Amino acid sequence: MRKPISRLSAILAALALAAPLAALADVSVCVWGTITGPDAGVNGMSYGTVAYLEHLNQTQGGIAGQKVKVLLLDGRYKLDEELKIYRRCVDQENAVLVKGWSTGSAKALREQVQQDGVPFVSETFSSEVLDPAKYPFLFIQGATYEQQMLIGLRAAKAQGARKVMLMHGDVEYGRAPVAVVRKSGDIEKMGLELVDTIEFRYDAQDLTAQLLRVKSKSPDVVYIQASTPQALVILRDAAKVGLSAKLFIGNMYNIHPSIPEQLGAAAEGFRAIQLYSNYGDAIPAMKEIEAFKARNTVEKQDLYFMKGWFGGKFIAAGIASAIQKNGGKPPADIKAFRRAVRDALEALKDLDSGGIAPPSTWANHQGPTQARMAEVKGGKYVSAGEWVNAQ
Amino acid sequence: MSRRRQIAAAAAVVLAVAGCFALGRYGAYLVHAVAISAIAALGLNLLTGFAGQISFAQGALVGIGAYTAGNLGNAGWGAGAVLAGGVAGGVASVVIGLPALRLRGLYYAIATLAAQFVLEYLFKIVEPLTRGISGMNVSPLVLLGRTVASDQAYAALSLALLAITWAGLQRLMHTNVGRSFLVVRENELVARGMGIDVVRVKLWAFLVSGFVTGVSGALVAFTTRLATPEAFSLQLSVDQVAMLIVGGQGVWAGSLLGATFVVLVPEAIQRAGEAFKAANLLSASREMAFGLLIILFLVFEPRGLAALLRRLGRALSRLVASRASRASPTPAALATSRYPATGGSREKAH
Amino acid sequence: MLLLQIATAGIATGSVYALIAIGIVLIYKCSGVVNFGQGGYVMLGAYAAYALTRLGLSPQLAAAGAVLILAAVGALTELLVLRRMLKAPVVAVMMVTLGLLILFRAVCLAIFGPDQIAFPQIFPQGAVDIAGIFITYNYVAAAVLSLVLSLAFLAFYRYTPMGLMQRAAADNSRAALAVGIHVSNQVSVAWAVSSALAGLGGVLLATLNSLSLTLSSIGLVAFPVIVLGGLTSLMGSLVAGLLLGMLEAFTDGLLTPALESFLRAHTSVYSVGALQQVVPYMLVGAMLLVRPQGIFGQRGTERV
Repeated sequence: MRKPISRLSAILAALALAAPLAALADVSVCVWGTITGPDAGVNGMSYGTVAYLEHLNQTQGGIAGQKVKVLLLDGRYKLDEELKIYRRCVDQENAVLVKGWSTGSAKALREQVQQDGVPFVSETFSSEVLDPAKYPFLFIQGATYEQQMLIGLRAAKAQGARKVMLMHGDVEYGRAPVAVVRKSGDIEKMGLELVDTIEFRYDAQDLTAQLLRVKSKSPDVVYIQASTPQALVILRDAAKVGLSAKLFIGNMYNIHPSIPEQLGAAAEGFRAIQLYSNYGDAIPAMKEIEAFKARNTVEKQDLYFMKGWFGGKFIAAGIASAIQKNGGKPPADIKAFRRAVRDALEALKDLDSGGIAPPSTWANHQGPTQARMAEVKGGKYVSAGEWVNAQ
Repeated sequence: MSRRRQIAAAAAVVLAVAGCFALGRYGAYLVHAVAISAIAALGLNLLTGFAGQISFAQGALVGIGAYTAGNLGNAGWGAGAVLAGGVAGGVASVVIGLPALRLRGLYYAIATLAAQFVLEYLFKIVEPLTRGISGMNVSPLVLLGRTVASDQAYAALSLALLAITWAGLQRLMHTNVGRSFLVVRENELVARGMGIDVVRVKLWAFLVSGFVTGVSGALVAFTTRLATPEAFSLQLSVDQVAMLIVGGQGVWAGSLLGATFVVLVPEAIQRAGEAFKAANLLSASREMAFGLLIILFLVFEPRGLAALLRRLGRALSRLVASRASRASPTPAALATSRYPATGGSREKAH
Repeated sequence: MLLLQIATAGIATGSVYALIAIGIVLIYKCSGVVNFGQGGYVMLGAYAAYALTRLGLSPQLAAAGAVLILAAVGALTELLVLRRMLKAPVVAVMMVTLGLLILFRAVCLAIFGPDQIAFPQIFPQGAVDIAGIFITYNYVAAAVLSLVLSLAFLAFYRYTPMGLMQRAAADNSRAALAVGIHVSNQVSVAWAVSSALAGLGGVLLATLNSLSLTLSSIGLVAFPVIVLGGLTSLMGSLVAGLLLGMLEAFTDGLLTPALESFLRAHTSVYSVGALQQVVPYMLVGAMLLVRPQGIFGQRGTERV
C-alpha cells in the first residue's frame, strides 16, 4: 500500500534532474506575473520587462555583451504558485535576479530572499517590504501606495477639498496601506479631515449602498485603493446615486481604457495617480518600443507595459554595472554575481528611463517617488500637470 | 497487511524521507507541497470516503490549523504547535459537523460551504489572532531545539507525517470506531440496529478528519511562512475535493494519488508547454486540462486513479502472465479485474 | 428616504440574483442535480454575445444569438456528461459541474484573454429616477425580465402539457416513464432552458459590470438564494433573490455604518470588513438548522 510514496519520490527526483539547468555563463533573469488571474489587466508590467530584455538581446547582443536568458512565468496571483516559481528561479534557473509580482509573495519571501542573497524586484508598492536596512535585496519600483494616496489627497486639497473619504477592497493591498495612512495622522497633518473609511468585497458586483453611505457623509474627495474592476463598479454606482466621477481619485492601477469605454459620461472627471508615462507619449523610450514592435508583438500597449519597460531598464542597468565592475565578465560564482548586482542596483544614480519616469536614484530601493494625475476627459485619460514628488 | 509488507513499506518510507535531502529546493518544494496536500486529503477521505459526508470547508480547516500553529509556533511551542494545529482543526471540524447530524447529502455540502465563507471572513477581521488580511508572519518550526529552515527538511518532515497519518488511519479502520464508520456510511438504520451510537461515530469521524486536516494546515503555515486568508479560500476546498475525486474515495492511496495529480499535473503541463513561449495560452490549457480531466474521471472512472492504476497493474501482470504461459486469460481472471466497489455515499438528497 | 433608496438598490441587484437562481432550481427540480457551474454558463453567455457583436451582429441580435447558443450548450452538457452520471453519487455530480466551470473559464481565457473588456450597449443609455436613485435601463430590464420570466415559468409548469411532463419527470421518474413520458428528453430540455436563462443573465450582468472571467463567480452568490428560497421552488428563488439583494443593501447601507460607528467610538476595532459577504451565508446556516427546505421548498427528506 505504501509503494506510491517511493514511486512518487522517484518521479520527483527524475523531474528535478531532467529540468534543464541554465548554463552558468548565461545571465539568467526570471520574471513572474499574473499572466492569467484576477489582476491580469495590469500584467503589461511583466511583459514590458521581458520585452525590454529581449530588445537588448536583439539590438545590443544582451547586457554588456552577455546574452540574457529571460523566463516569463505565470504566478496566477496565487501565493503557493508564486512560492513554487521563486524556488524554481533560484534553484533551477540560476537567476541572477528575480522579478516577482504580488505583495503577499514579497512578504512571504522577504527573509528567504535575504538568505538566498538574490536581488528581488517586486511589482508591489507596499511599504511593508520597503526597508533597505532590513531587506537589502528587495526593491520596488516607484511611490508606495501610501505615497500615492498622499499625492492624490494633496492634489485634492489644492483644489479646496477638506473632507476625505477612503474606499478599499478587502484584500491585502486594499486594507494595509489605508490603515497605515489612517494611523499615521498624515491626513490631519495636511489639514484635511477623514470622515469615513469603507471596506468592500473585492469581487463586489454592486456598491450602490456603499455609495449612499458616501453620499450621506458628503466628502469633498474619495480616494479609491483598489483595482480597475472595483473602480468601475464604484464609478457606475456613484452615477446611480448622483455623485460625480470628479469626486473620485484612484491609485496607479485605475488607468484602464475599459473604465471610460464602459461607463461613458459617468467616468468623466475621474482622476487616477500616474507613476509612468503613457504608451504612445512623445518620449525617447517610445522610440525603442516602436523599434521593438516592428520585429515582435507587443502584448499590452498600455501604461503598465511602460512600467515593465522601465523595470527592464532598471534591472539591465544594475546587471550591466555589475558586469563592468568585474572587468566586463559576469562573476563565475552565481552568489557573487547576485551580490554584485544587488550592490550595483542600489548604487544606481540618476537612472535615465527614456522619459517613462523622472531620472531616479535607487539608494532608497524604490527609485522615483514622483507622480502626476491623469484625468478622464472625452473618454480618454489625459495626463494633467507635472510630476509631483511624494516627499 | 502482512508483517513482510509492513517492513517493506516502512523501509520505503525511510528511503523516501532520506531521499528528500538529495533533492534541490524546487524538487523538495514539490515533495512537501504534495505531501501536505495529501495529508489534508487523507482527512477529507476519512470524512467522505469512509464516513459518507461531503465537505467544502477543507480550506478553512487548513486555515484554522495554520493560524493556530503559526501563533503557537511564534510563541515558541515547537512541535507542540503542529499538534495544537491538529487539535484546533479537530474541534472546528466537530463544530462545523454538528449540523450534519441533522442534514445530509447536498444540504450538508451547502452548510459546509457556508462555514467556509464565514470562517474566511473571520480570518480577515479577527486581527489579534490572524493579523487580518495582511497575513501573519510565521517563524520557522523549531523541532527538538533545532530550527527547521530548508525545503529539504520540510519535505522529509511532511513525508514522515504523511506516512504516520496514513498508518494511523489504517490502524483506526481496524478498531471498532473505524469499522462502525463503514457501517454508518452504508446504512444508518442497520448501524442503529447493531447498537452503534451513530451520533458518536459521526462526531469521531469529524474529529479525526479535522485533526488530520489541521496538522496539514500547521505544515502549510511553516512552509509558506505567511498565513493569509486568501490561501485558505474556497479554491483550496475545491482543490481538495478534486484530489479526492481524481484519486479515489474510500482508498487511502487515493489521497496521495489525487494530491500528486492536482499538484504535479499542472506543473508538468507547464514545463512541457514552455517551449512554445505562449504564457497566456499555457495557463489556459493547463486549466482546461484540469477541468477536462476531472470531468473525464467522474464520467469514466468514478473510483479514481487508485482504481485505474490497479486495473492497469492487473492488465499488465496478466499480459506478462499470458506471455509467459502463451495462454489467453481465463474468464476468472477477467472477472476479478473489476475493483470491488468502495465508492462514497450513493444516496441523493432526494 | 434613505430606506427607500437602499431598498431600490437592493431590488435592482436582487433581480439579477433571482434570474441566476431560477436557472439552478429549474435543473434541480427536473433532475436532482445541483449545478455548481451555473456561473460558468452565465459567463459563457456574456462572452458568446460579445463574440457575436465582434462578428458584426447588432448587440440585441447578438444577445438573442447568445441565448440560443447557450441553450445548445446546456442540452449538450446534459447529453454528453450528465446523462452518463445518472447513478453517480451526489458528490460526483456536484464535482462534475465544478469541472465544467473550470473548463468553461479556461476556454474563455484561451479565446478572449484575461483582461476586462467593455461590453456593447444593449439597452438605450439613460436612467429612471426612483426615490433619488438613478436606476439605469439595464437594471430596469434585468428586473423586469427576471420577474416576467419567473412568472412565465410558473405558468408554464402549471398550465402547459409540457410543464406537466416536466413536473412528472421531476417528481417520480419511474412513474413518469410508466405513463410514457420520455424522462431524459425532459431533463435535456430543462438543461437547455436553464443554460439559456444563465446566458441571458450573463448578457445582462455584462451590460452592468463589463465583461470579465469574474462573471462566473455570480454562481456562488446565487447559492444562498436557492437555499433560502428552497431548492424546488421557482417562486422561492424570485422572492429569496429580491430578499437577499435587499439584505445585502441594508447591510451595506445601514448595518455596517451603524456597527462601525459604534465600534470606532467604543472599541479599538475600526472596521467590520466586508460584512455583506457573510450575512447571506450566516442566514443560510441558520436556515439550514431551522428549516432546511427553505421558505418555499417542499418538505422532503433533507433531514435525517
